[in-house]
Amino acid sequence: MKLIKVNMDSKTIAVEDVPQDYVGLGGRGLTSIMINAEVPPKCDPLGPENKLIFAPGLLSGTPMVNTSRISIGAKSPLTGTIKESNAGGTVAAALGHLGITAVVVEGKAADGELSLLRIDQAGEASLVAAQEYKGMRTYAFVEKMLAAYGEKTSILCIGPAGEYQLAAASIQSSDIDGRPCRAAGRGGLGAVMGAKGLKALVIDQGGQSADAIADPATFKEANKVIVKTIKAHPMAGQVMPALGTAGLVAPVNSMGAFPSYNATKGVFEGWEKISGEAMAKLIQERGGNTTHVGCAQCIVHCSNEYVDKNGKYVTSSLEYETIWATGGMTGIDDLDTIAQLDYLCDDIGVDTMSTGVGVAVAMDAGYREFGDRAAAIEMVEEIGKGTEFGKILGNGPAAVGKHFNHDRVAVVKGQSIAAYDPRAMLGNGVTFATSPMGADHTAGNVVGEYLEQKLDPLNAEGQVEASRNLQVGTAAMDCTGLCFMAYVALGTPEAGEALLKAINAKFGTQLGPEDVPAMGIRVLKAEREFNKKAGFTNQDDRLPKFFYEEPLPPHNQVFTISDEELDRTLDF
Amino acid sequence: MRVRVQLYGTLSLRVPGYEHSRGMEIELAEGATIKDLLDHLKISESQGAVVTIGGRIRKAGDKIPDGVHARVFQSVHGG
Repeated sequence: MKLIKVNMDSKTIAVEDVPQDYVGLGGRGLTSIMINAEVPPKCDPLGPENKLIFAPGLLSGTPMVNTSRISIGAKSPLTGTIKESNAGGTVAAALGHLGITAVVVEGKAADGELSLLRIDQAGEASLVAAQEYKGMRTYAFVEKMLAAYGEKTSILCIGPAGEYQLAAASIQSSDIDGRPCRAAGRGGLGAVMGAKGLKALVIDQGGQSADAIADPATFKEANKVIVKTIKAHPMAGQVMPALGTAGLVAPVNSMGAFPSYNATKGVFEGWEKISGEAMAKLIQERGGNTTHVGCAQCIVHCSNEYVDKNGKYVTSSLEYETIWATGGMTGIDDLDTIAQLDYLCDDIGVDTMSTGVGVAVAMDAGYREFGDRAAAIEMVEEIGKGTEFGKILGNGPAAVGKHFNHDRVAVVKGQSIAAYDPRAMLGNGVTFATSPMGADHTAGNVVGEYLEQKLDPLNAEGQVEASRNLQVGTAAMDCTGLCFMAYVALGTPEAGEALLKAINAKFGTQLGPEDVPAMGIRVLKAEREFNKKAGFTNQDDRLPKFFYEEPLPPHNQVFTISDEELDRTLDF
Repeated sequence: MRVRVQLYGTLSLRVPGYEHSRGMEIELAEGATIKDLLDHLKISESQGAVVTIGGRIRKAGDKIPDGVHARVFQSVHGG
């Protein structure tokens, strides 16, 4: 249980025991509570006072399956709020194997200076000059790192977008195959990393100093129950390995809730061409992989390897939200173009969702036609080149809207919504409006409640409660390092008990079922407290005006949750 | 009555020779429900099956109108 503190002003590194205030925290719980305690809320997100925190989950680095999520937190340059963005890959497990609870990056290097943080097999951390990698895109950079430090190395890095400090810049995470194709995409944390002068974290995977498990036998038994439950679950055990998250394209379109053509329609005419089913068929015909392991210790295998018509790798993993943002929103019904856009965003280091929505806003404003494949690719390439328009697009959809004086921009607190239109899935609208992170599907996604028929997506009744419960549950899950696919599968009482047993067995604690929502609420309270101190009020927890005014076909409804209802969502 | 059915997720693997663009034409008794349709397809709701008709999810007891296009999915919680 140690913190690695890196000061980018003095280029010094300190290793500390985890302070008492943070003991028992991991993942989002640690990043958010630490930021709320230590970062001045009104600070410049790209200035020296902001802190960039990398925290594996509480169970990362243990033998527990599917615990490879890394939480990255800071004050966001995109939203101005507190932000946690988490990603899969291998880095959370690598840090866990070294007994590292968090890496905290403070201060700011002199302009133009670039370093990487190397942590070796013994857990020794050092800053290494990285000037020679300046401007390098992520795929080329990761290749260099693997050549220099060995194949068994986990990398978190930024691309040109992060170095330009663009507000939608991502932090890319290397997968099992060493590709930088996983992303902490939301909130522009890549810009914070760029502002600090940090190109990458380069971490040895061979650490053998993980924190001891207090009761290994009980932990092992709990893991067995969890493995069995995940494998038997219809979503985690069947749909995810076959289609990945792209399996959502069909049901969400069939429910009229797939925001298309910059959220002017709820069904995308070409959705059958870009569905998970169509993608799986195409990948199989071309000899790619529809089932792929992306993250350490994964037994779900929701990833894929998209290949071109010659069978050559294009990108991994092509997922639902990206297919929506770069496909449905832009009117592009061609998977090859969508895959190319996904690759470009990963390589340049920019959020696929903000970028796709930004392209859609530009198209809606008349800059280019909806469905223009070449124009979309050209626009995204401009981010990498750092052109004037590229910088506007790389700063997210709100910046694009401002540039074109176009007010149909689907953002909350500056961050784009995800692939569920608030007018046809009201509860997702509640989450987008009220999440302390800005519009964010990972903060409390209600789509499963609709598909399981627990709730009518078009009826206001019960939406606030559903969003609240999911936001609380998700905030708790984000502390553990578990991925969402595993978390959903663990919804049975037996599996929930096993998960709690595993946490108690690791830490020697006696947490009960009531402690899980309590942790979620504690995290959300800290996040809301930070935002309040930063100047946010209930008035910021609102959707853009057009969601209240423009009916969405085919259901032709507007967003009907009142401001008072929104305000009681997270009023703990 | 006749219903056109399209299968999504891994459900199509259960039907040999299934062609997605065409789907399946199924003959059901007048007044048949969503549950009857799923029984006919040998798919249980516990397997996460969801049926939409006309842009809305239909419950197990809902009656199916003649000549409709039904889509059958597996539940997915998020992407």
